[in-house]
Amino acid sequence: MSDNNGFKSGSNLERVLRAGHFAVTCECGPPKGADVEHLEKKINLVKGCVDAANVTDNQTAVVRMSSIGASAILVRNGVEPVMQMVTRDRNRIAAQSDIFGASALGIRNMLCLTGDHQTFGNHPMAKNVFDLDSIQLLDMVRIIRDEGKVNSGDPVEGGIKMFLGAAANPFADPFEFRVIRLAKKISAGADFVQTQCIYDMDRFRQFMKMACDMGLDKKCFILAGLTPLKSAGMAAYMNKNVAGISIPDSVIQRIRGAQKGKQAEEGIRFLIEQIQEVKEIPGIAGVHIMAIEWEDRVREIAERAGLLPRPAIEA
Amino acid sequence: MIIADPKPFGQVKEYIKDYKRVLVVGCGTCVTVCLSGGEAEVQLLASGLRIALGKNGKNPVILEGTVQRQCDEEFVVPVLDRVRDERIDAVVTLACGVGVNFLADRLGSVPVFPGVDTTFYGASAGQGLWAELCAGCGNCITAYTGGICPIARCSKHLLNGPCGGSEKGRCEVAPNSIDCVWQLIYDRLKKLGRLSELQNLLPAKDWRTASDGGVRRSVREYLQEPK
Amino acid sequence: MDKECPQVSAGEILATCSAACPVHTDTREYVQRISRGDYEGALDILLEVNPFPSVCGRICHHPCESECRRKTIDTAVSLRMLKRFVVENTREYRVSRQKKPAERKQGAVAIVGSGPSGLTAARDLALMGYRVSVYEKDTKLGGMLAHAIPRYRLPADALMEDIQDILATGIEVRTGCEVGRDITFQELRKDHDAVLIAVGLAESHSLPIPGTESSGVFLGIPFLWDIANGLRPELGGRTLVVGGGNVAIDIARAAKRLGTSKVYMACLEKREEMPAWQWEIDEAQEEGIEILNSWGPKAILAENGNVSGIEFRRCTRVFDEEHRFSPLYDDSETTQVDVDSVILAIGQKACLDCVSESPVTVDRGRLQCDRSSMATSERGVFACGEVMTGPGSAIQAVATGHDAARVIAHFLQTGETLKIAPRAVQTIGDLPAETAARAKRFERVEVSLTDPAVRIGDFSPIEPGFSEMEALKESRRCLACATGAYLESEAVCAGCLTCVRVCPFGVAKVDRTAVMPAQQCQTCGLCAAECPAAGIALSRFATNKMREKLREMLAGTVAEKISRPFVVSYCCLNETTSREFLREQTEAEIRETGILRVMVPCVGRLSALDLVSPFELGADKLAVLACKEEGCFYTGAEGLLRRRIARAKKFLDEIGVGQESLQLFNTEGSAEQSWPRIWAQLRSAAPDDEVIAAQAAAGGDSR
Repeated sequence: MSDNNGFKSGSNLERVLRAGHFAVTCECGPPKGADVEHLEKKINLVKGCVDAANVTDNQTAVVRMSSIGASAILVRNGVEPVMQMVTRDRNRIAAQSDIFGASALGIRNMLCLTGDHQTFGNHPMAKNVFDLDSIQLLDMVRIIRDEGKVNSGDPVEGGIKMFLGAAANPFADPFEFRVIRLAKKISAGADFVQTQCIYDMDRFRQFMKMACDMGLDKKCFILAGLTPLKSAGMAAYMNKNVAGISIPDSVIQRIRGAQKGKQAEEGIRFLIEQIQEVKEIPGIAGVHIMAIEWEDRVREIAERAGLLPRPAIEA
Repeated sequence: MIIADPKPFGQVKEYIKDYKRVLVVGCGTCVTVCLSGGEAEVQLLASGLRIALGKNGKNPVILEGTVQRQCDEEFVVPVLDRVRDERIDAVVTLACGVGVNFLADRLGSVPVFPGVDTTFYGASAGQGLWAELCAGCGNCITAYTGGICPIARCSKHLLNGPCGGSEKGRCEVAPNSIDCVWQLIYDRLKKLGRLSELQNLLPAKDWRTASDGGVRRSVREYLQEPK
Repeated sequence: MDKECPQVSAGEILATCSAACPVHTDTREYVQRISRGDYEGALDILLEVNPFPSVCGRICHHPCESECRRKTIDTAVSLRMLKRFVVENTREYRVSRQKKPAERKQGAVAIVGSGPSGLTAARDLALMGYRVSVYEKDTKLGGMLAHAIPRYRLPADALMEDIQDILATGIEVRTGCEVGRDITFQELRKDHDAVLIAVGLAESHSLPIPGTESSGVFLGIPFLWDIANGLRPELGGRTLVVGGGNVAIDIARAAKRLGTSKVYMACLEKREEMPAWQWEIDEAQEEGIEILNSWGPKAILAENGNVSGIEFRRCTRVFDEEHRFSPLYDDSETTQVDVDSVILAIGQKACLDCVSESPVTVDRGRLQCDRSSMATSERGVFACGEVMTGPGSAIQAVATGHDAARVIAHFLQTGETLKIAPRAVQTIGDLPAETAARAKRFERVEVSLTDPAVRIGDFSPIEPGFSEMEALKESRRCLACATGAYLESEAVCAGCLTCVRVCPFGVAKVDRTAVMPAQQCQTCGLCAAECPAAGIALSRFATNKMREKLREMLAGTVAEKISRPFVVSYCCLNETTSREFLREQTEAEIRETGILRVMVPCVGRLSALDLVSPFELGADKLAVLACKEEGCFYTGAEGLLRRRIARAKKFLDEIGVGQESLQLFNTEGSAEQSWPRIWAQLRSAAPDDEVIAAQAAAGGDSR
C-alpha cells in the first residue's frame, strides 16, 4: 500500500483489512425490479455478519435493479456495499458518470468487472459495449481517485473516495496466466481481490503460492471466494456448466453421500471447513461468501465459522 | 475477405414479390469465395424465386447476372445499363452490404434489396467454414498480441487477458465453436518467447479510428484528382 | 461427326489409347458411346479410321490396351473385346450406313494385293471418288488375314464383314488375277493413273541347314494357307515349329488342332525375348505346346527321306549390343528332338513377281520405296503395307493404307509426290501414381476361353464375345481420359479453392485461377457442381447443356400434356444394370408415363441448381437414382451428393416445393427392376392437388 498518509476511501472494509482482521464479505443480489422491500429483507439478513456486502451488476446479464441504486439502499440501511460495476453495459462515459454518482451517494467500495457475456442472460439479443475491460476500468477509476483526472485527462471536480476491488479466477485457463492477470489488476489499481468460488483447494493453494512468490499478497488484500453447495445436483451442474468452476469429484461425492434431506447441511459444513482451511493459507486476508439466494444462512455460516462478531473500527 | 451468408429465402421473396422484372446480381469477389453470392447462388436463388412466386400466381421475370466486383464504378456500370435497357424494376444483389449501398447510390428510382447478410471479415477455416479474424478497428494492436486480434476474436473484445470464462482453450460463450483467443495469444507469445509482454497493461483503446469516430474514408492523396 | 467431346485440343493432344493406335482410333469416344448404349454411334467412330474393326476386334494386338491409363489404377480396359462387341451388335446398321462416293473424280488406281493395307487404300480412294481396281492373285480377298490367320482366332465371316463393307464403296475386284502372269505390269500401268503395290510378305523364309528338303518339312505360310483353304497338311505324330514369333505360335496351335499328339516350338530367343505376344504364348502352352528356348537349328535329321528329328545347338545371344539380329552359338552344347514333321516359321519375305518384268527397282529381294512419299522408283507407282514396312500388325498395315491413299490422291490431283511427315503425336501423358492411388478399383471383365482340351479338337473360335451386360460393365471402367473439368473463363474464377477442396483425386489446383490438368482429371464433375462462380464446365456431359435440353423438352405444350405427377429422374449412367433405360425416350413415352429420364455419368455431378431447376420447368417430383450403395465410380462423390441433396431439400422447403419432392435412391439389385419400382412409388405417393395448393398458400403467407 503506497498510500501511507491514510485510507483510499476509509470504507469499513478497508479499515477492517488494514487493521489486520480476517475480513468477511458476502453477496447481496438486487431484485429483478424495483422491489425495495425484498432488498431490505436481504440486507437485514446479513447486517452485522459481514464487513461489506457485494451488490452485483446485472449478474449473468440478467436485468436487475442497478447496482448503484441497490448499493445506495444498502448504505441507507447500514450495510456497507461493495458496488460491482461491469464494462459490458456502459462505455467509459457512462462508467465515470456512474462512479461519480456512486461516490456522491456514499458508496466507498467498488468491484471492477468485465461482466458475464450477454448470451447467458435474458437479453442475448442485446448489443454489448466492452469499451473497456475490467483492468482498464480499474486503471481509470484509480486515476480519477488518485490523480483527479477522467480518462480523457480532464480534471475531476471534487475527488472520489473509492476502495477498489477486482475479481480473480484461479480456476480458469490458462492457469499460468492467472497470477499474471492478478498482478496486472493490482498494478492497474486493485486494493483488494475477491476470488471465484473455490472448491479445488489444492489448485487454489498453488495459485496463492505463485501470488505470494510475486509478493502480490503484500500489495493487495486477497479474499477467498466461497459458495456453499445446496445439493450434490447443484454441485454437479456447476462443475459441468459453469466455465471457470471446477468441483472435485470427491466434493460432489461427499455431498451426495449425506443423508436424505441433509445435503444442504453437509454443504454448509463443508463450507465452514473451507473457511478454516483458507484462513491457514498464507496471503489470505478474508473470505467472500457467495451464498447465492441463500442470504438467510449467512448469519449461521458466519456464526459457526467463528467469524462473529465482526470488528467495529472507528473511522 | 468479407464474409456473408445467404439471406433466408422468404425474406428475399417478400422484398420482391410485387415487382415485375427483377435482376438478381452476384458479385465475383468475396461472396463468391465464401459461397454466398457468386453466379451459382444467383442461378439458384433466381430459380427458387421463379418457382416460389409462380406458386403464388405471380410470374415475374427474374433475370440473372454477376459482375467481378460490386464495389467499383467500372464494374457496376453494366448493371446500371441493364437495369435501364431491360426495364428492370427491382434489383436483388448478392454482394456484401458494400455492394448493396454502392448500387443504391447509383440506381436512381429502382430499388435494390440485399440477398445476403454480411457478417464479418474472415478467412477460410476449413472446407465450408469461415472464421472472423479482424474487426476493422482502424488501429491494429496485434503487434502486442502475437499477431492475433483479441478485438475480433474475443467475445468481449478484452485487451488484457482472458476473462474467467476461458476453459480448456475454449470460450464459454460457445465452447464448441469458439477458441479462447487469449489462450491462443498466450500460447503464441510463449512460442515467441515474449510471454513477459503480457504483463504490460494495454490502455483503454481509442475507438475513433473505428466507426465510433464517424463514417470513415480512406484517402490516397497522390492518386486523387486535384480539386 | 458430332462427338460428345473433342480431344483435349482437337487433333493435337490424344488420350494415350488413341495415341498408341497406329490409326489413332478415337477409343475413348467409342467406349463412351458403348456406355450410353449407343453401339451404332460407336461403330461410326470405329469406321472413321479403321475399315477392319471386325478383324481388329478379334486379332488386334491392341496397343491401345497396353497404353490404357487405367493400368495405373488396376488393369487396362478390355478395348479389343469392346470393339468386337460393337461390330457384333451393329451388323444391320453397318450395312445400312454403307455409301458410295458422292462424286466421281478423274483418275484410276490399280492396287496389287488385297491385304489390310491394300484394301484400306482402296476404300479411301474409292470414297474420294477415284476408280479403284484391286488385283488379287488368290481367289479370296484379305491377304494374310484370309490365308495366314487360323480360323480359331479370326473366323472367316468376321473378315467377310469388313471386306464386304469395303467393297460396298464401289471397288472393282479382280481375284485370281496375278499381276506379272495374268496381266503384265505394263498393262496395269497403261490402264491406270497410279499403281499401288500392297503385296505384303507372303512367302516364308527357309533355313540354310541340312535336311530342309526332307519329306515332312513345311514352310509356315503355305502350311497356314492350306489350313485356311480347307486342306489338312499331313503331319506325323510329333511336330516341331521353328520360330518364336506370332506366326510360329499360330502354326504350332494349328498343328495341334490337326491332331498332332506332340507339338514343340523352338526358337533362338529366351522366353522373355520371344517376339510373340505373351498372351499367345500363354494360350499355346495351355494347349500343351512345349517351347524350347535358346536353341538354334543345326540340321534336320531324316530317315529314308522322311524327317526323324532335328538337331540344335545352344544359342547364347540373339541380338548384339545395338539390338541388331546377330546370333551367337555354343556348338559344344547340342540337343536333338525326335519329331516327324518340322515347320519353318522364321520370317517372311515379299513375292515381287508382279514387278519382275517392270522397271520398278527391286534390291536384294526388297522393293525400293521411299517411306515418307511411299513412292517406288517409278513415277506413279507406290507401295504400302508390309512390303514397304517389313513385318507388322494388321492395324499398322491399315495405317499405311491410309497414307498411301493420301499420297496417291495428291499425285492424281497434282502429279506431284507428297511427303507425309511422321505425325508428332502428343498424348495427355501417364496417369500420375498419386492420382491413381485415390481412384477406386474395378475388376476387368474377362471372358473364359474354351477349355484347352476342347479347343485343340478343331478350328472353332475359342473366345466368346462380350454379352451386352459385360460390355456395358467394361465400358464403364473407361476413365474417359481428358473429358473432364475445365475453367470456361478465367475472368469468372475467384480462385476460391472450392474445386481444390472437393476434388477427391487431389487434381484441381489454383494458379491464380482454377486449373484441372487434363492429364490427372478423373472427370467426376464434383468441382463443377460446387463451383460458386458456375465457371467450371465438363467436356463430357455438361450439366448446363442438360438443363437447356430439359428446358427444350418441357417447353410449351409438351409440359401441359404430360401425365401428372410428372417425375424427372436423374439416373446414374455408371449403374451397369440400366441397359433398358439407355434407349432414348420418345416424346409420347414421356407424356404417357409422366417420367423423364436423364442419364448422367455419375449423379454426383448434379449441382444444387440441377436439383432445383426441374421444378421450375414443370416437374412435380425429382428422383436422383444413384448406383448401388458404395458402388460409385468416383471416390467421395456419394457423400458430397448426399450433403448437396440435403441442402437442396432445405431450399425446396423454403421455396414452397417441399423437400419430399426431391428424393435420392440407391439402385437395389438390378436397375431394370429397381428404378421402375421407384418411379411407380413416386407417382402413386404424390400428394393430391389440394395439399399442394395448401402448401403453396402456407409458403406464400409465411413472412
